[in-house]
Amino acid sequence: MLLLSRFKILGHSMEPTLKQNQTVIASSIPYFFMKPKVGDIVILQRERCIIKRISKISGDNFFVQGDNKASTDSRDFGWINKKEIIGKVILNFKNL
Amino acid sequence: MKILLSIISKILPAKIAYAHCDIPCGIYDPHAAQVGAHTVIRMTQLLSELKREGETKAEHDISRITHVKEDHGSLIEDELGTLENDYFKEEHFTKFPELKELIANAVKLSIKTRQAIDMASAEQLLETILKISEIFYKTKNLVPVRVKSPYPTEREIVVYK
Repeated sequence: MLLLSRFKILGHSMEPTLKQNQTVIASSIPYFFMKPKVGDIVILQRERCIIKRISKISGDNFFVQGDNKASTDSRDFGWINKKEIIGKVILNFKNL
Repeated sequence: MKILLSIISKILPAKIAYAHCDIPCGIYDPHAAQVGAHTVIRMTQLLSELKREGETKAEHDISRITHVKEDHGSLIEDELGTLENDYFKEEHFTKFPELKELIANAVKLSIKTRQAIDMASAEQLLETILKISEIFYKTKNLVPVRVKSPYPTEREIVVYK
């Protein structure tokens, strides 16, 4: 659960929306008031923090994908559970 | 806006969010990072040797050389990011426990060489990238070999048998 955290992007799977080395601010606060929805860019806590976009929802399970077609995502590792979503990206900066 | 960004960066230290991407093309190579590190050394040499015979010419040359140094620092960081995120797997980090720290140090050194005309950091950067390259080739079951490079830096590169 992230009240407010800053993340640096490593990797290319969210291009062209988010580029490598770009910084985003993520927070769990929006999900206190609403459920994650399709289109949200989220931070997932798996073996390490990863960033993807929600593309499908089925109950408490979410199918996440990168914006880059070459992304490794739910197409490889399957649906993820809501518990794995630790925050929503609320801001992104190119030079922070 | 700059002040706000500066405050945010101080209050919230950056964590890493991995945006893993792999077609998978399977084409990975530490060579570009090595060339980048040699270029950083060469540009640092050129900046140190620059003569101020004409003020405008000197400023022009400094701009161009610094620009190339910046670009190659950025290239090194991108190449290391690709190796770390897309090529190296947990089994590699387990087998070579120093690998994660080597990559982190290389990125820090790359940033340092961009911030200043710092030959000591540029040399450490190359040495760190050579060590990462040796590990890379070992993960491919190849035998890494250090040879003298054909570049004006007159320092080594890692190739494989």
